[in-house]
Order: sequence, then C-alpha cells, then structure tokens
Amino acid sequence: MYKLKNIFIYLGQLDRRYIFLLIALSVLIPLMKPGLLNIPIKTTSNSEIVFEQLNNLNKGDKVLVSFAYGASTKPEIHPMSIAVLQHLFSKGIKVYTVPLWPEGLMMAKYALKEVIESNLFDIKEHTDYVSLPYKAGGEIIIRGIATDLRSIFTQDVNNILLIDIPMMDGVHKVTDFDFIFDLSAGVPGNAEWVQFACDEHNVPLSSGCTSIMVTDAIPYVESGQIRGILAGMPGAAEYEQMVFKYLSDLRDSEILNENTPIVPGKATSRMSAQSIAHLLMVIFIILGNISYYLEQRRND
Amino acid sequence: MYELIGVWCAVLLTLSIFSYLYGDNPFYKAAEHIFVGVSAGYIFTITFWDTIWPNLFGRLFPSYVKAGFEFDITYIFPFILGVFMLFRLSKKYDWLSRISIAYIVGMMAGLKFYVFLNSNLLTQIKSSTINLSGTYYNIINEVIVLIGVISGLVYFFFSKEHTGVIGKVSRIGIYFLMIKFGASFGFAVMGRISLLIGRFEELIEFSKPEYYYSTPVILVVIILILSYWAFNENNHVVEE
Repeated sequence: MYKLKNIFIYLGQLDRRYIFLLIALSVLIPLMKPGLLNIPIKTTSNSEIVFEQLNNLNKGDKVLVSFAYGASTKPEIHPMSIAVLQHLFSKGIKVYTVPLWPEGLMMAKYALKEVIESNLFDIKEHTDYVSLPYKAGGEIIIRGIATDLRSIFTQDVNNILLIDIPMMDGVHKVTDFDFIFDLSAGVPGNAEWVQFACDEHNVPLSSGCTSIMVTDAIPYVESGQIRGILAGMPGAAEYEQMVFKYLSDLRDSEILNENTPIVPGKATSRMSAQSIAHLLMVIFIILGNISYYLEQRRND
Repeated sequence: MYELIGVWCAVLLTLSIFSYLYGDNPFYKAAEHIFVGVSAGYIFTITFWDTIWPNLFGRLFPSYVKAGFEFDITYIFPFILGVFMLFRLSKKYDWLSRISIAYIVGMMAGLKFYVFLNSNLLTQIKSSTINLSGTYYNIINEVIVLIGVISGLVYFFFSKEHTGVIGKVSRIGIYFLMIKFGASFGFAVMGRISLLIGRFEELIEFSKPEYYYSTPVILVVIILILSYWAFNENNHVVEE
C-alpha cells in the first residue's frame, strides 16, 4: 500500500513533457491508423435541431452564412462549414457568404472551393451563391446588415457591383434572408448575431462554433434565440453524419451529379483521436487528484 | 512549386511553435514574431483595401474609387476622426485621438446597452420562468435553471453579508458556478485537442513523398539544432 501511494505521488510530480508526449501519441496513433478504433458517433438534440431547421428551408430560400473564424480554429469549424454548405446546396438554397473576421474571407473561399470541387452539385457563382467581401467593424457590420446591407456592401468579393448581380435583387437587409447561419470562433460571433440582428428583426439563426464558446452560447439556445448549435468538432462530426445520410438518400435523384462519390467529412475521421485524447485527459485528472490528495495527507 | 514552399513554411512554423513544449527557444521566438508581423500586415492591408478604400474614400471620391457609392459629404467626419486616431503617435497632439476614442466608446456603449437589455436581460429573464404546462422533464429542468439563476445572482450580491439564508443560497450559487466552470474547462480541453488534431493531420499529410517528406526532415533538423543549442546553453551556465 505504501509503495502504491509513492507511485501515485511520483506520478503527480512527473515532468509535464512526458504528459505532452502521451497526448501527442494518443492523437497521432489514431490519425495514422484510422481503422484502429471506430467509435460510433451519436447525434445530439442540438445538432438535430440545426439539421431540421436547415432541412425545413425550401428551394430558392436565401441563407446568409457568416464566416467568423480563422486558420487557428479551422480544424473545428471548417468541417461543419463544408457540411452546412453541402446541405444548403443540395436543397437548392441561395447562399450568401459574409466574412466577419479578416481570415474569414479565405475560409469562405476554401469552403466554397471544396464543395465545388467535390462535383456533387452544379453550382455557379452569382446564380447559387454570392461571396461578400470582408468589412472591418465586427458587430457594427452585423448591425449594418440588419438595417441596410447596401450601405456597407456595394460589391461582391470580385469587385462586381451588387446591383449587377441578379441574386442580390431584393436583398437589402437582414429580414430579406430566410435564415442566418453563423460559423464563429469568438467575437463577433453568435452572441453578436443574436444581439445586433436576429433578436430585434426576428430572423431565425443557428450556429456552429468552437467548443470553448458553447457554454456561453447555450443560454441563447435554451431560450430559442439560437436554433440548435453545432458544438466544436463533435458537433461537426454529428452534422457530417446527418448530411452524409441525407445525401446518400438523394443518390439517385437529379439533385446530385452522377458518378461522384459522397464521402463523410473530415471531422468524422478525427473523432477517434479526439475520444482517446479525452480518455487520457480524464485519467490524468483522476491520477492528478489522487496524487494531490495523498501528498497533502503526507505533508499534514 | 509555390505550394511546396508554402507547405515547407507551414511545417517549419508549426514545429517551431510546438518546440515551446520543450521550453522557450529561438525557433519558437522566431515563429511567434513572424506570426505577429504577418497578422498585423494582413489585417492592415485587408482593412484598408476592403473597408477604408471603398467605404470611406469611395464616398468622398466616388468617381475615382468607383466602389458603387455616391458622394456623401458627411463622411468627412469619420475621415477626420480617423486622422485624429493617428495623432496617438504624436506626443504633442495625442489629445486629439481622445476625441475619436470618446466617439467610439459613446457610440458602442449606447448600442450595446440597448441590445444587451433586449437579448441578454429581458429575453433571458423570460426564458428562465417555469412553464407549468410542459412535460415533467421540462418542468424539472426549468426549476433547476431557476434555482441556478437565483442562487448565482445571490452569490454576486455583496450589499449584505453572506450569512444565514443568504449564505446558504450563495453556497448553492457557488456549486452552480463550479459546474459551469467545469463544463467550460471540459469544452476548452476539447477545443484544444481538436486544434492539435488539425495540425497533426496536416503534418502527417505533409510527410508524404510528394511534399519531399517535409515533416520528418524539418523535425530532425529542429531537434538537432535545438540539441546543439541546449548543449551550448548548459555549457554556458556551467562556465558562469
């Protein structure tokens, strides 16, 4: 028993670099050997609500997708942005992208490029989607979109005047959109969309955000101000699963191009690594607490 | 070719940042400084060409900028306030920048006050009431939320000493706050692991022959240079 106590105390004093190494291995091994562990992904009610909300939209509806994330949070948000765009394009919905972060411009471009290059849909710029440019100002831009979009945006990302784009006809303020989808990793993000646009103008909003933002966003979800939420990488994986199933069911329809494979997104393949790393973290927390308790008792 | 250069830069910078796990070192410092410089340059450029040029100069000189805006003389005021901000660089006239800052603070305070009152206070109070016509499961949930809200608020009520009933209720508030912090910590860990997975995935991808094994090559080079650097540092310390 004395020996066991000493082992626990020793583990508590272990050099942190060994812990880094173990975490790195717990992530690396499942990524290098994807078939090693297949953990089933169970969808949660918040992700299901997001899916239902977008699925209830009709062909030709207008959805504004806000890109408020950058390279640092790309692994969490980008898979869900691709899954959301695939879902929207599969329903023939008109997509308007707006970057609220400087890097959001590139993220929107990469997400659209990936969906176009998948060859699943016949989508064309200015017919199926419009990319608005980045404007500095954060929540002020959201406020501007809410009241008068044309006072801020007069051109798209390719410097083509909005008045020359047929898809922009009748789009002047936030109420001209049927739905807002926020993809965010901080400020401005889903809270700013709630506060500065969607609550006041009663426009439905859903969000996909980083894990760290979830606890702050949940009160808005519980009150119905945000309709469902995709929480970090697990949220993205859940949404990918639902979209994958939805697209697979559409396989024989005219909506999808023939002979193009439907593949699940990146978040799904990353979940094994995430689960193992979480398990390891839980073990570390338990061992750390036991070690701390035993050391305190020894010192007393 | 350019893609290959980009890949090697990405791998070098990623591994340089990861090298901080061993300890502070020149690779980490260089990567950190490059990140700050590139971010500042990127944000400055994109803000100027996507916002200041079309939205401000596009209204003051519409025929020259051709951003689709009409001439609007009122935009001379934001232009002047913007110029005032640059006076922060002057010791003699930096007081002018305070006018611009005062405008920003006043405008944002007014705007935030309204939206916060509407979305965070009124709607949240409304959503924390108990709907007795709901299912038992919902009613229990709503009761827990209400207890959490009240006890949490009592915990932050400092006008009365936390003894007796107030002390007990604020204690319950602490437990609710602890649960919130625990959930936040769990989500924070999840987020950080997700980012690590993203980087590792790219590092694995860039280990392939088409990228000339950039990850293992750069990793070995960094380890060798860091070992030499650490060895020299140790010798230096011993000599001192």
